[in-house]
Amino acid sequence: MRVIRSVFRRKLRAFLTIFGITIGVLSLVVMGAMTEKLTLLVNGGVLYYGDKVTVSAGSTLLGLATSPLSSNRIADLERVPGVSRASASLGMLLDKEMPTVSFGNIPTINASDGRDRGYETFIVTMAQGRELRQGETGKVTVGSDVVKKLDAVIGGTVKIRDKKFEVVGIAEKTLTAPDQAVVMSMRDAQDLYADTLPAAIRQSVDPHKMATSIVVYVKPGKSPDVIARLINHEFSDLKATGPTDFITQIVASLSTLNAIIIGIAMISLMVGGLSVINTMTMAVSERTREIGIRKAIGASNGAIMRQFIAEAAIIGLTGGVTGLVLGSMFTSAVNAAMEVSGTPLFLVTTRLAVGSVLFATILGVISGLYPAWHAANLNPVEALRHE
Amino acid sequence: MSDVASTLYGAPPAPGEAGSTPVIRAVDLSKRYTIGRDNFVDALRGAAFEVAEGEMVAIVGPSGSGKSTAMHVVGCLDAPDSGEVWLNGRRVDGLRGRALTRVRAHEIGFIFQGFNLIPTMSAVENVAQAAEYAGLSRGAAAFKARELLEVVGLVDRARHRPSELSGGQQQRVAIARSLINSPKIVLGDEPTGDLDTATSDEVVRMMRRINTDTRTTFVLVTHNPEVAAACDRTILMRDGIVVDQGY
Repeated sequence: MRVIRSVFRRKLRAFLTIFGITIGVLSLVVMGAMTEKLTLLVNGGVLYYGDKVTVSAGSTLLGLATSPLSSNRIADLERVPGVSRASASLGMLLDKEMPTVSFGNIPTINASDGRDRGYETFIVTMAQGRELRQGETGKVTVGSDVVKKLDAVIGGTVKIRDKKFEVVGIAEKTLTAPDQAVVMSMRDAQDLYADTLPAAIRQSVDPHKMATSIVVYVKPGKSPDVIARLINHEFSDLKATGPTDFITQIVASLSTLNAIIIGIAMISLMVGGLSVINTMTMAVSERTREIGIRKAIGASNGAIMRQFIAEAAIIGLTGGVTGLVLGSMFTSAVNAAMEVSGTPLFLVTTRLAVGSVLFATILGVISGLYPAWHAANLNPVEALRHE
Repeated sequence: MSDVASTLYGAPPAPGEAGSTPVIRAVDLSKRYTIGRDNFVDALRGAAFEVAEGEMVAIVGPSGSGKSTAMHVVGCLDAPDSGEVWLNGRRVDGLRGRALTRVRAHEIGFIFQGFNLIPTMSAVENVAQAAEYAGLSRGAAAFKARELLEVVGLVDRARHRPSELSGGQQQRVAIARSLINSPKIVLGDEPTGDLDTATSDEVVRMMRRINTDTRTTFVLVTHNPEVAAACDRTILMRDGIVVDQGY
């Protein structure tokens, strides 16, 4: 209590200093929540792609982002030594248009031919309802982040690309890509996908043999990266990607992005730290006489240092907690607003919350060190003479 | 047993006459303050005096005679350039760090002209703070502080901040603070300097009562002849030396 009273004896100055830290922590929480969300997304990807090879068409057709593959290639791929199973899958955007702003994953439609059952280790369970049965058409399961966007309820219907589907399941939150996915049968997805193709292509292919990728599962003891190289070597019209490629491309770019984002937040926090140094230096200067009194009545240098460091820590802690509260409110508000589009941007994790407050408190302590040391080493007689 | 003595020492002070044992011995003290380049003041130039246990002594002299410097050096707030300071039979002028802090906390109490209370603390917290620095727990220090505020007649003002107290009341809080660690010596630097005559008399009477009841030694630097007259003896200083010990 005494420390808090000392901090707030100059209320406006204390408020402004705390505000400086608050802004720093606010930016750290907001930026950090964005990187936490991205990191979990990518970690999910690392987990998903960690044991398999993803095969897509080697070249794009007529400017399409994803060119179709024929599911006939499954047999080709299963002949490659070391491959235990190949399964066609189809992925496309949930909306017809690509969102203009997206920092995280984009809502998608996913479908699989079901050949991956028993091989796929990344299992998404249902929070409500049930999983989609093999070959079941006209029905979907919905990822947790797109429930609100689609107004999905179990037993209700949702409209996807102008077609109606019954919702049979709502998936558990995974904090990664499946949260933003609608899963439907391969046949339904192929029909929707065919509608997106230019007429010239649509007429020349069998829509019910189309896939956007083929997932290849490898035999125990075989390296997916080696198998990916083998497939690339053997089939020039296919592009196989192993887990290392994924990690190198996505994780490396994410690390850079995270470093930039956190760096920006740190700079604003450092500015807050400088204001703590300024405030504490002024406090020591104003309270020089008080320091002299304290020394005269028996305060050790350590006791004086502890007093001022505690005050700096209180400033850091208060700024940290306020910044965390404001940051959490801001991210929750933005996430709530983004729920309609199914693309939540932020995730305030426990480690981010604790880390931000702890960092602000430590920053306060570090910023208070020099002023406190200066206070502790004042000559008591000179301090007592100070007006 | 008086209230003051029982509060401070728990038992009556040992019988004895003031002037029997020296609790302060200042031997040939010199102190030079440098003010800028080639400019200095010799505040003490071989000052020497003794104060016996239980005495109440005034140090008087014109401004710049070295009274306050002598008090700061004896009170371990400042180190002499040369000479010796003995408190309670122990040489203290060479002490540093924790040993020095311990002497300030346990063996000496200070009373200042401007009261020098900490403005954000209540009266009881101001008094208790000195005991906490001496190692008492917060609770025990607050309990003892309230007892001392009762001794100085301010227990009903315990929760008041300094700004809510009169000058006389603030100085009584400062007296309570100086006594909380039961020191043998209390040093006062113009303790009545900021008080009107009536309040000054009241404060001097209070110090005298404590001195008589507990045999706490008081050394008061003063310009006030009435304060000096109320003391057992007057040490006169001039130009950094003691010219008369008042025996």
